[in-house]
Amino acid sequence: MIYGIKQVLNYALGRDIAGRTLAVRPDDTFIVSYPRSGNTWTRFLIANLLFAGQPVSFANIELLIPDAEAQSSRYMKRIRGPRVIKSHQYFDHRYPKVLYVTRDPRDVAVSYYNFSRKYRHIADDCPLEQYVHGFVTGTLLSSGWGTWAENVGTWMAARNGRPTFLLLRYEDLIADTQTELAKVARFFGVDATPGELSRAIENSSADHLRELEKKEGEAWVTTKNKRSDIPFIGSAAAGKWKSVLPGAAIEEIESAWGNTMAQLGYELVTRKAESVETQLAAMAVLRERGE
Amino acid sequence: MIQRLIHGTRRALGLHHPGRNLEVWPDDVFILSFPKSGNTWTRFLIANLMYPDTPADFSNINRLTPDPEASSKRELARMPRPRIIKSHQYFDPRYKRVIYVVRDPRDVALSQFHFYRKRGLLEDGYPPERFVPRFVAGETTPYGSWGENVAGWLATRQNRPGFLLLRYEDMLEDAARELNKVASFLEIPPDAERIANAVRRSAADEMRKLEKSQARLWSSTKGTRQDVPFVRAAKSGGWRTGLPEAAVAQLEAAWGHLMKHLGYELLFPARTTNFDSQFVETMLNGLSR
Repeated sequence: MIYGIKQVLNYALGRDIAGRTLAVRPDDTFIVSYPRSGNTWTRFLIANLLFAGQPVSFANIELLIPDAEAQSSRYMKRIRGPRVIKSHQYFDHRYPKVLYVTRDPRDVAVSYYNFSRKYRHIADDCPLEQYVHGFVTGTLLSSGWGTWAENVGTWMAARNGRPTFLLLRYEDLIADTQTELAKVARFFGVDATPGELSRAIENSSADHLRELEKKEGEAWVTTKNKRSDIPFIGSAAAGKWKSVLPGAAIEEIESAWGNTMAQLGYELVTRKAESVETQLAAMAVLRERGE
Repeated sequence: MIQRLIHGTRRALGLHHPGRNLEVWPDDVFILSFPKSGNTWTRFLIANLMYPDTPADFSNINRLTPDPEASSKRELARMPRPRIIKSHQYFDPRYKRVIYVVRDPRDVALSQFHFYRKRGLLEDGYPPERFVPRFVAGETTPYGSWGENVAGWLATRQNRPGFLLLRYEDMLEDAARELNKVASFLEIPPDAERIANAVRRSAADEMRKLEKSQARLWSSTKGTRQDVPFVRAAKSGGWRTGLPEAAVAQLEAAWGHLMKHLGYELLFPARTTNFDSQFVETMLNGLSR
């Protein structure tokens, strides 16, 4: 009962977490990704690009590019527009403009495993293979965001190719940050010189973020009161799965999501993705059989 | 603030309609479709199949197949399980057992146009060619655009366990055949007589009769114009005469690739601008067999 009254008051005062009940505005832009796909790095890059006058840190990132899943309705309401908002949501039709960051799910799994240990969501000695099984079948806490393929798949199916949607691959961001950030600048309608891009990149480097995390980890809503022996900023590299993931785990990920991975340019090592032609033929057969 | 206090209290007591924030149970079954795609007919068919002793009508359909937009959170929590829930929501990963009904978007647009006249949202004489661009942009429902709704569900679930895709047009052609698929999906013995009875009880004429006497009892027709019926033509292809060509072209330009995938023949195949249809097509087929 007391709990109920508290909830009512929190709601009335707008202290509830915004999340999917966020009041979306027509001039909002969202940075969306599955968790552990480079969202924080992208946030820093964009904040350093759009708000170049001030040093971006974990202490002010929630003001510059707030996280709708960590902040209250009231907090979100007070952010002046046009807002840039961080999100991990699977497709939400109310989001008018979306920059989506995708990452090889094999790397996402490895990174998420470490993150889940940091958050004490899984036992410290949980075998990686067992974790990956839950990750793929959607039985972990992470499945609140849908599975990896559901998250990226719903956005791509609904919005890919439209002028209000920009897809970035984490791997491309790492390989050529300058080029990718230039795309982002255009998406935001910002005229950035190569020098401005370089500065934003420098101010968002993994080493710099690691330093900031050490200093400000307890000041940031995402890392506050979490194990500090496992860092939030992980390896910041692509392809770590090759040396870390057991073969069976790779196979499980690829057999569940291979087609989506192949379409995003992630090479499969345990099976071949079907060509579109094979699939269309298979579908025609099914249709004829009336299935 | 006062408004949020009232709203918050209603929420705490479970008196609000949960809609998209419905608490989902693992054994819930969803009858899902974009609005105006034959959802009500499917609800009647399934209710009459599941509960042969209680003929479905507009006064009990929200109890037999609850609607999270029309029932309160408290009512929904007390329903006997497994619940058969009506929904128009775009993709929600928590829905694990889904019967998805899809209909030619050209007919959907036309049907929604008439439904909005019924609800007094559009004046008589409002031109369909002004309605269709809003329909394509996804501004006419809170459930995403037709393409967003359909593509989101198909890309994640088609050909996977726990998902049954029905085409409204196939249901019109042979309702018993399609209801048979539903029966095996729900693990109900596919008894021919039981299925035939359910089809008969849910026929458009029967539903029209019920609507005449019960329209004021049902959440979706209460307080709407009674001179425009809810159960309308119950046919496919009405768009050929009901929609201007320019509107048809616009619908096909936006969703031609999805329509082709679903077997809806295009009037202007050459004008279809596919938004990266290859990606969607590949995902649509899901797992390799």
